[in-house]
Amino acid sequence: MTEEEEEEDNNSRSDGALHAVGWRRRKRRLLSPAARVHLSVLRGTHQWYKDLHVYQLEHPTQVIEWTSGRTVCVAGFSPSKNEILELRLPRKLFADENKGLCAERDFKVVHGGFTDRPVRCLRHVPGTRCAVTGDGLSSNLQVWDLGGDDSDVIRRTGSIEGRRRRTGVSEGGSSIAARPSSPPQILHGAQISDVQLTELSSGQTLYQLESDSADPLSSLHFLSDAVFLAGCSNGNIYVADTRTSAAPQLSPPPPPPVSSGESVLWWTDASAGPDPSGCRVVRLSSSGQALVSDLRNLGGAVSRAQLDVQTRRCGPDDVRVSWAPALDDCIAVSGFSGAVQIYDASVWTSELQEARPLFEHRGHAVSPEQSDDGVPPILVTSHVWHPERPRTLLSAASDGSVHVWDWVDQSAADKR
Amino acid sequence: MPEIKVTPLGAGQDVGRSCILVSIGGKNIMLDCGMHMGYNDDRRFPDFSYITQNGRLTDFLDCVIISHFHLDHCGALPYMSEMVGYDGPIYMTHPTKAICPILLEDFRKITVDKKGETNFFTSQMIKDCMKKVIPLNLHQTVQVDDELEIKAYYAGHVLGAAMVHIKVGSESVVYTGDYNMTPDRHLGAAWIDKCRPDILISESTYATTIRDSKRCRERDFLKKVHETIERGGKVLIPVFALGRAQELCILLETFWERMNLKAPIYFSTGLTEKANHYYKLFITWTNQKIRKTFVQRNMFEFKHIKAFDRSYADNPGPMVVFATPGMLHAGQSLQIFKKWAGNEKNMVIMPGYCVQGTIGHKILNGQRKLEMEGRATSVTLCCPLAPIKLQIVLDVKLQVEYMSFSAHADAKGIMQLIRMAEPRNMVLVHGEAVKMEFLKGKIEQEFNCYMPANGETITVTTNPSVPVDISLNLLKREMALGGPLPDPKKPRTMHGTLIMKENSLKLVSSEQALKELGLNEHQLRFTCRVQLQDPHSDPDTLHRIYTHLKSVLKGYTIQHLPDGTVMVESIVIKVSSSAEDTNTKVLLLSWSYQVKYFQCSYLTDGLYRD
Repeated sequence: MTEEEEEEDNNSRSDGALHAVGWRRRKRRLLSPAARVHLSVLRGTHQWYKDLHVYQLEHPTQVIEWTSGRTVCVAGFSPSKNEILELRLPRKLFADENKGLCAERDFKVVHGGFTDRPVRCLRHVPGTRCAVTGDGLSSNLQVWDLGGDDSDVIRRTGSIEGRRRRTGVSEGGSSIAARPSSPPQILHGAQISDVQLTELSSGQTLYQLESDSADPLSSLHFLSDAVFLAGCSNGNIYVADTRTSAAPQLSPPPPPPVSSGESVLWWTDASAGPDPSGCRVVRLSSSGQALVSDLRNLGGAVSRAQLDVQTRRCGPDDVRVSWAPALDDCIAVSGFSGAVQIYDASVWTSELQEARPLFEHRGHAVSPEQSDDGVPPILVTSHVWHPERPRTLLSAASDGSVHVWDWVDQSAADKR
Repeated sequence: MPEIKVTPLGAGQDVGRSCILVSIGGKNIMLDCGMHMGYNDDRRFPDFSYITQNGRLTDFLDCVIISHFHLDHCGALPYMSEMVGYDGPIYMTHPTKAICPILLEDFRKITVDKKGETNFFTSQMIKDCMKKVIPLNLHQTVQVDDELEIKAYYAGHVLGAAMVHIKVGSESVVYTGDYNMTPDRHLGAAWIDKCRPDILISESTYATTIRDSKRCRERDFLKKVHETIERGGKVLIPVFALGRAQELCILLETFWERMNLKAPIYFSTGLTEKANHYYKLFITWTNQKIRKTFVQRNMFEFKHIKAFDRSYADNPGPMVVFATPGMLHAGQSLQIFKKWAGNEKNMVIMPGYCVQGTIGHKILNGQRKLEMEGRATSVTLCCPLAPIKLQIVLDVKLQVEYMSFSAHADAKGIMQLIRMAEPRNMVLVHGEAVKMEFLKGKIEQEFNCYMPANGETITVTTNPSVPVDISLNLLKREMALGGPLPDPKKPRTMHGTLIMKENSLKLVSSEQALKELGLNEHQLRFTCRVQLQDPHSDPDTLHRIYTHLKSVLKGYTIQHLPDGTVMVESIVIKVSSSAEDTNTKVLLLSWSYQVKYFQCSYLTDGLYRD
């Protein structure tokens, strides 16, 4: 087999055309540049991606947070010195007409700042130029001014003290949720008993969750202005209302059909919508099981599926599961491997069955930065859906790569 | 304090007409001598009057160094050397020396022959200017004079692009020119030694940018070209004659081959053969892959790409044309653009950066109606009294695509180069005046960072180390004094005499210095007068002082000498009476400079304790 044939063969084997790009790069060292023009690039890719942009940050990020329709924040998570960057996505990506006129296809660093802690969690407060970060080590949070038109510097403006812990409980990082509010407020906590609503400017506590549970949080979500959902890493879900001091409603996950005996971690996401009662909640376990529940009956599962993921030992910060904000029934999953998977939850049933992803973005795992041996495999560290564009996602990986991709639903295209 | 000065005459907080003056160790060097393509007034060339107001360029400058052949880095060279007047050495790499005169001549033709400008350099001037050029090899240290040495490093921006390390004594500056930290289809990545220069002068065109990967750009480029060809349209790709053009040729050639496409690809006249010829000639300056496969097949011999003739532009059917210049400001690319602009099936792909004021810049900013300066011949005129120059409005209907293939280092690349070279100070040039406070802050976490404007001088003080020979005797004596052993990492004070003789420095003991220089040692004594009331005679007073001091200064050698003096150690005391009043005695205390001050004060103290 000649080198070129071999390359063609690779491409026909891979499902997504661009997935093959660079994947045999090291072996093709001696190939002429001409041969490096991949057939995949030329023929197939545009059928799988409407857009694909590949970037390389200096340092990997675990957070990707929208700060406007066109800008995102990313930040490093090394033990000391880190940068928080606000990046402007290229206009080319958002123009539907005259894309070619949009000159740049690069990220622009519009604002940047420095922090001496890792950034494990970053939440932008909607409607403001304010962001809150957590370091994953303590329940204390840092408050940042993202800067305006007159400056390109992100400055720290204050901090929020986490609620005092009972002794004997190891501190973990906080989860943060924010919604449009005036003056700006955030909901935060590291475990159920210390969830509170804090006003940013004064640091005043406006609400505290009435519970003495030490369940560690995995995420917080506002379902409406006042009702919020707290997902715990043991699978419990609490729903509470910031307007009342009533005890929260607790829903443990339905027991798994086969108990493996190993402790599993859970991650949660709630679908956003105008009507919180129509909200659906997805819970994903470290063993790859996904449960979709209705807000009215969080104890039961509307549908479930065993996802096609490589299960591995996961940390609580590793996995992301998210509902598509502008697409029905689609769930994105990352953190188990170098891929981001999109699942169509509408085909799941109440019986636990194996589910195949609708689309898989494997670009990070075949990053040109990857080398063959002695290096830990590249893992996706984060992903986020574009709030309005239905199939546009951003994803980041442990090698510092950030991809922006607009995928094509091949199955829908085939049906047509 | 010794210092290095950097003054941009062009490219300070600006892109275009790069020209930077560096004064280092008494030498003056001009780095690049470019023109600004967006202007045709005196902003076109760097402001040489900054130098010439005080004298001739040749007297001031020790050498001129050109980083690469792009006109914004070498376009003012014939103007400077032949019209302003400079006869000193001009350094550039072999490929730059070969290619730069072609581009200069091309630009001259457009400016003088087409635009009809006068007061521009001539073909002869370009030739004369090139005679002053001394070629540089990569990694070869070139001695400009006894003290000034320069060394070129691979910059990867275009064929022959170099970064240059300038060294005088222990002071040094690195100028990057334009550089690229990611290898592409035809060039490798920039590389430099860990040379720890006092100043790194870096371009910062894409300093606040994180670039999309080259693969994605290539994919989009081919997709765009293919789509246009499929619908029967024509694709115009305005290019600099060298650089991106060759890269895109390789890309299209391969694509045509694989897809079995038949539409013709043309490369604009004249320059084609020459340019490709130079790439073949300077194959060592391309990337490793091209060099390795060169034996089997030369990447620059194209099967599908043919020379363009002006008449082809009117041929029916799809075609792809590479034409110069790259910013659509004149010449063939502009002619073709005007012909094809009215058809929406056609496409123009702008593969590089366009400076303000060019047509390229305008259409990239979405301008769909362009006011063109046309000559009367190009339009049919109804009015018999029409002026020679008139404004024509060109309707841009063709698809405009921007594909930035220009190879500059982005934010990450600049930091990579900084880590490679480990400079003590940074100067950023060749970037638009934008808010770069964050980047500056990032760089300043490690060292000083400057962004001077044109004509603004930044000064960096240096600490050049000066080697000094030290005599063995002095070292031995120092050792005998005890104390910690010498440690190369810790500064240490020692006494000796520094002799500067015949360009060398040595440190010796003062005795040896006196001997070597044939000098006598000077004696220095200090004297102080102390008045006191005492009715006794002078010798009696002296004796009283003697006995008194003996009682208070225990442990000191005190002598009463027959010549009428008292000596305490080496301090001499004499007594005399005042002329007016014999009761007022004047004590004269005299000591040599070696006596420590506290001993004297102790003595005077003792005297007063009566």
